[in-house]
Amino acid sequence: MRLLLVEDEFDIQNFLRNSLTEAGYQVDVASTGKQAESLAQENAYDTLIVDLGLPDIDGINLILRLRQIGVSAPVLILSARRSVDDRVRGLEQGGDDYLTKPFALAELLARVRNMLKRNTPAGSESTRLRVLDLELDLLRREATRAGQVLQLTPQEFVLLEYLCRNAGRVVTRSMILDKVWGMRIHPDTNVVDVHIYRLRGKVDMKGLQPLIKTLRGVGYVLKDR
Amino acid sequence: MFSRTAKPGIRSAAWRISLWATLAFACGTMLVFMFLHGFVADDIQRRVDAWLSGEAEFLHDVTEQTPRNALYDRMVSEVTELFDRELASRLLPEAASQVAVFVLETNPKGEPTLWVGMGSVNPFLDAIQKTGATFDRPRDLRVQGFDVPFRVVSTHLSNGNIEYLGLSEREELRVLRQLRIRFIVLWPLLVFLGFAIVFFTTRNMLRRVQRITQAASHIGHSDLTARVPQSERNDEIGHLGRTLNGMLDRIEKAMDQLHTITGSLAHDLRSPLTAIRGKLEMSLSAPSRGEQDEAVVACIEELDRLTEFLNTSLDVAEAKADALRLSRSPIQLDELLRSMIDLYEPSMSERGLQIHLQCDEPIIIQADAALIHRMMANLFENELKHLPPHCTINLHLSTQGGNARLTLEDNGPGFAPEVRPHIFERRIKGRDSSGHGLGLAFVDAVIRAHGGTVSASNREQGGACITLSLPLLSPHGNGSAVEAVHGIRLRTHR
Repeated sequence: MRLLLVEDEFDIQNFLRNSLTEAGYQVDVASTGKQAESLAQENAYDTLIVDLGLPDIDGINLILRLRQIGVSAPVLILSARRSVDDRVRGLEQGGDDYLTKPFALAELLARVRNMLKRNTPAGSESTRLRVLDLELDLLRREATRAGQVLQLTPQEFVLLEYLCRNAGRVVTRSMILDKVWGMRIHPDTNVVDVHIYRLRGKVDMKGLQPLIKTLRGVGYVLKDR
Repeated sequence: MFSRTAKPGIRSAAWRISLWATLAFACGTMLVFMFLHGFVADDIQRRVDAWLSGEAEFLHDVTEQTPRNALYDRMVSEVTELFDRELASRLLPEAASQVAVFVLETNPKGEPTLWVGMGSVNPFLDAIQKTGATFDRPRDLRVQGFDVPFRVVSTHLSNGNIEYLGLSEREELRVLRQLRIRFIVLWPLLVFLGFAIVFFTTRNMLRRVQRITQAASHIGHSDLTARVPQSERNDEIGHLGRTLNGMLDRIEKAMDQLHTITGSLAHDLRSPLTAIRGKLEMSLSAPSRGEQDEAVVACIEELDRLTEFLNTSLDVAEAKADALRLSRSPIQLDELLRSMIDLYEPSMSERGLQIHLQCDEPIIIQADAALIHRMMANLFENELKHLPPHCTINLHLSTQGGNARLTLEDNGPGFAPEVRPHIFERRIKGRDSSGHGLGLAFVDAVIRAHGGTVSASNREQGGACITLSLPLLSPHGNGSAVEAVHGIRLRTHR
């Protein structure tokens, strides 16, 4: 998978390149709109990551230009602007995504992954999810661990489903709030932790290998091996 | 929110202005007429008097020179007839038959020696004697049996007799009466015409003002792009429109500038924050180093708190300046609260708190979902942080008028008396509060930006009570709204 990162701030460029490379992507970097344009013409990219505040051209205009010259890869927009521009909203509907700065790396990786997944034709969606000895029946809304049915509330099931779908990958609290509760909020208190703590009490029963792992300062991960 | 301008009826300025203007106009024309009437009456009187004096002198000369014989009477009556005819030619021809002149001569004892006139001499003689005054200058004389007074002048003859020459004032009064009748007929027409002109002119003027008012009242809190109707006419109202639009231009420019400032401030802070956060995260992913990791984690958490603080304080600042940009959509508030409670309930029961929602019907508002989420989260966080264990939070959602009304009550310690009056201001927090003191200021800002109200008080039986009121979704276009809400609900429940 080859990505093009368009970002003028050297520090951000650096750590994004490092972490994306670490995540197994091949990353090209452009610091200006011009550079990005010529790179996009030369190579075929699976996803573009574009910062809106470029020195030579407005990010949105760059995306529109790239679309004009036939670049169809989905774009993840990085924005330091506070309010979401209507034009960004428009692009979002076209399959692109946006992320406000500052962001958690886990979230960036999740978005990139999502966009790449969207880009590849989806196979028939399974009605069952399986992670090690944890099994979720999506139709009957039932979860079993080591053959034993777990007594979960509907909300806990949704939370566990989200963790399972992202098994082996880090999810942040913001991502959980957004995807499970549909809220883009940043609580001061540990509301999400309490939910995870309760879920863990039901999923990671005594004598079994703990599956839900907390990565302090980052988020949670459901172990898949 | 904008005030709807009611259709002005009988109390409209146009109506009042026209009434007063008409009153002034009516009084003015009446005064002018009275003045002219007086002037005309005086003038006619003066002319009549001059004629009378001249004729009396002529008669005096004639009678002095005519010997007192049988011819004398005929002589005088012929002269009188001459007067009549002369008058008739000067006045209206049809009035000729009515012209009445009399000549009376009395001896020093007051007995009549000569009488030329209508009817008997006696009423005239009585009237002259009753006045008791001399008629050296023309004077009015009222004679019994005649409804119109006579204008009378006298001359002293050399034989001691007095000769009176009288002229009926009928003609003079008739002219004046005609003048008055014409005025009385024309005056109401004139006044009505004046009223109509004033009324329609002012109403047209004020309609333009009203159009401006209506347009101005629609220029909402966050929409500053609209302008009031402007006319090319160079009058006061055209000026008003241009001035208002100029003012709006300046306000819009100032707002844009504010957005630019807050935007660039946010941008300038966000870029380094992103870089710092990224580096910290990278260092976490490196092999664990125990204590150092703890410090890095704490730094990341502080950074997130700082970011949230930055966002919230900019939102509050913009909302205070009525410049918060909302992207509104229909929201089912009771569903939103339920999923919010769903999120917070475990944390609350962990702390020994209970939370209940009472709501009997679906309540839909038109609002910025992200802001309402954050606002409700702020309220819940507030309760979570400040309530001691074993307290209960009661939420009650209902409709009141065109508003959704949410009361949030608890049985905790309530607001400290020193912070209560400033509860919705920035940086106000209780002594033992750990927050950044923006929570309730943000709640206030969001509610106000949506055109609602918020108030906080302590309950009598102890505990705090916060009441929010938000305008309900207006009934227009309900179909699509309900559909959209349905969509939201599906999304949150998944």
